[in-house]
Amino acid sequence: MLEFLVWLLCGSILVSGILAVRLDNTLAAAVSGGLASLFAAVCYVVLGAPDVGMTEASIGSGLSVLIFLYAIRRTTEKVP
Amino acid sequence: MSEGILVIAAALIFFGIAFGVLRLALGLTAVDRVAAVDMLTVVSVSLIALYAHVAGRSIYLDVALVYGVLSFLAVVAIARYLERGL
Repeated sequence: MLEFLVWLLCGSILVSGILAVRLDNTLAAAVSGGLASLFAAVCYVVLGAPDVGMTEASIGSGLSVLIFLYAIRRTTEKVP
Repeated sequence: MSEGILVIAAALIFFGIAFGVLRLALGLTAVDRVAAVDMLTVVSVSLIALYAHVAGRSIYLDVALVYGVLSFLAVVAIARYLERGL
């Protein structure tokens, strides 16, 4: 039963990664990268590594998106 | 009986992820994509909880718990970013 879900997760990682590379809007690109990390975390848990999944979910999907947004805000020029 | 409920839950999670990713791919604005990501985090937590029951290992529930506690941080950061406060 869960094989379909794992296949769907793998496809979702592919779609999120392609979107993170191809999107023009930087906010949407950062969010898509965080989503790829989230699906990777779920895949780690399903494949039997819950500690790796927990670390990936907290750092890859939570903290990295926050740092990306902070960097985007600091490096784009201010609109008058 | 219990097996049927699990199959229904798996089907709901399947369609939730499928339509969430569809919304992410088609998304008209960036805010639509952020809403899709917020929904997909909740669906992922439920998927981890379902897998913990199917595999019979309750240690996986801790992962779902930690992720459920931490998942709102990214959305709060994005909301602050959209309000130009970050």
